[in-house]
Amino acid sequence: MAYFVAFHGGWLAGAFAIGLAMGWVAVVHRAPRVSGWLTWLLAALAAGLVAAAVTCLIPGRAGYWLELLLVMFVPYLVGCAIGTWLRALVVTRSMRQRSAA
Amino acid sequence: MRGLFRWSGKWWPGVIPLIVLWGFAAWTSTVPLETDLAGRSSAALKGAVLDKTSITVDGRDVSVRADAFSEAGRRDAVAAVDAVDGVRLVNDQTRLVPEAKPFVWSAERDVVRVTLGGNAPLPALKGRLVEATRAALPGVEVADQMGLARGAPQRFEEAALLLIGQVGKLKDGKFSLSDGDVTLTGMARELGGREAIATALAKLPEGFKVASNEVKAPPYIFQAYKDPVAVTVTLAGNVPDENIHAVVVGSSSRKFFSEKVVDNLKNSVGAPTNFVNAVVPALGALSRLSTGTLVVSDRDIKISGDALYDAAAAQIRTGLAKEVPQGWQVKADITVKPAAAPVDPTVCQQLFSDVLAKAKIRFETGRSDLDRDSTGLLDRLVEIAFRCPAANVEIIGHTDAEGDSAANQVLSQKRAQAVVDYLVKAGLPGDRFSAIGYGSTQPVAANDTADGRAQNRRIEFVVR
Repeated sequence: MAYFVAFHGGWLAGAFAIGLAMGWVAVVHRAPRVSGWLTWLLAALAAGLVAAAVTCLIPGRAGYWLELLLVMFVPYLVGCAIGTWLRALVVTRSMRQRSAA
Repeated sequence: MRGLFRWSGKWWPGVIPLIVLWGFAAWTSTVPLETDLAGRSSAALKGAVLDKTSITVDGRDVSVRADAFSEAGRRDAVAAVDAVDGVRLVNDQTRLVPEAKPFVWSAERDVVRVTLGGNAPLPALKGRLVEATRAALPGVEVADQMGLARGAPQRFEEAALLLIGQVGKLKDGKFSLSDGDVTLTGMARELGGREAIATALAKLPEGFKVASNEVKAPPYIFQAYKDPVAVTVTLAGNVPDENIHAVVVGSSSRKFFSEKVVDNLKNSVGAPTNFVNAVVPALGALSRLSTGTLVVSDRDIKISGDALYDAAAAQIRTGLAKEVPQGWQVKADITVKPAAAPVDPTVCQQLFSDVLAKAKIRFETGRSDLDRDSTGLLDRLVEIAFRCPAANVEIIGHTDAEGDSAANQVLSQKRAQAVVDYLVKAGLPGDRFSAIGYGSTQPVAANDTADGRAQNRRIEFVVR
């Protein structure tokens, strides 16, 4: 895995950046939320893909591309979480200042 | 934390650029990744003993195709690739090289090259055999047609290197190993090469033996040429050893009484058996010719030239085949020298005296049997006798003073008669020749020295 991360460092950084931006935007974004049943469906799909990757079910290049996708999702999600957390901090602080004023 | 969970429901739009980024990543990194893994997998197999290794990478999955020389070697090769960083799966397509039964290896020599064929047990050993061949035969092309197989006998390398060391002794031919059996065929480069190879192969390692040795040696040649113009007899070719060399040269000196013996012989092993017993009578036949050539090749004797008279030609044609040992072949191509013009008796006497001044007619010690070494001399006397048809000749025998004088007289008479008999057998009329024995009564030198006695033992030709 260390080799994988080192080899694709640039692309993972890119995924992190997209995640960070998305997380930053998500707090104030007016887009509809993913509904409950769709969340479970996506979670099941993700679990299936992870299982396929871990068991090396898909051979050759397709297997490699699946691994790449799943590995890129990790910094994306981390980025999203950090972005959201930072934006939430900023929003909370500005709301406090406004209410104090 | 609850807020984070609530807001995570709005993270999905970022997946679209993420998918695009993933597409670019997959597009650009797949081939470099595969190349990198292939390179590092090959490096991991560098020290492994394998043949026909090929590595193909599909994504992070590596297919290893190779011929291994043992089960452990095969497992180690797969494990080495599996341990390479970044490799996900190893597709094991290795196999053991086939086992050869019997295990055959050969070294074949022809005019321009040495071809190594059959099988070698390991690639490194294969290389060593080629290098050893190059070192043993500098300047000769070495063609490597060896395959690889398991099943080589113990100490195969030692045996193969020993054979490679001997290939240089072949002009052409083949050395083969089949399990522990060594087969040799071909032609040795030099006389004695066959024997030298056989001696070297006595050191074959345990478990190996010479199953058949069909290496032939070049023909063993001995030649003699009698040149009447240069008055020489030239001996050339081979004799087996120094003793036989001395016997052949000594015999030639006695038989060719008026010619100078030119000795160009060299000592070489590999002579056929009974060599000296065949060559000495053949030289005797050559000494009877006025000009002639003798070629002994292995066990074939070819003699050609001009005899001095008809009966001599007939005697050589039939006599030589009986004199040589069994198993030897004689081919005599003898013609007769044209008869010289007749001369008057005075000249005839001069010719007899000239010839007898160069050499003496020899007999067996104490007996009246003619020595074979004197046949050439007797033929020369017969030739002169044919040139003087009008002359009556007295053949006079003399002895030294050793022993009883009456016995000496009888011996000298018998010896003179033996010479007369030889002349008659040659076709001369018996009534023109008379045998007289004077015993020791007419010495030409003092009898108190060996040299003087030798001079007194003689046959004289006197024309009346």
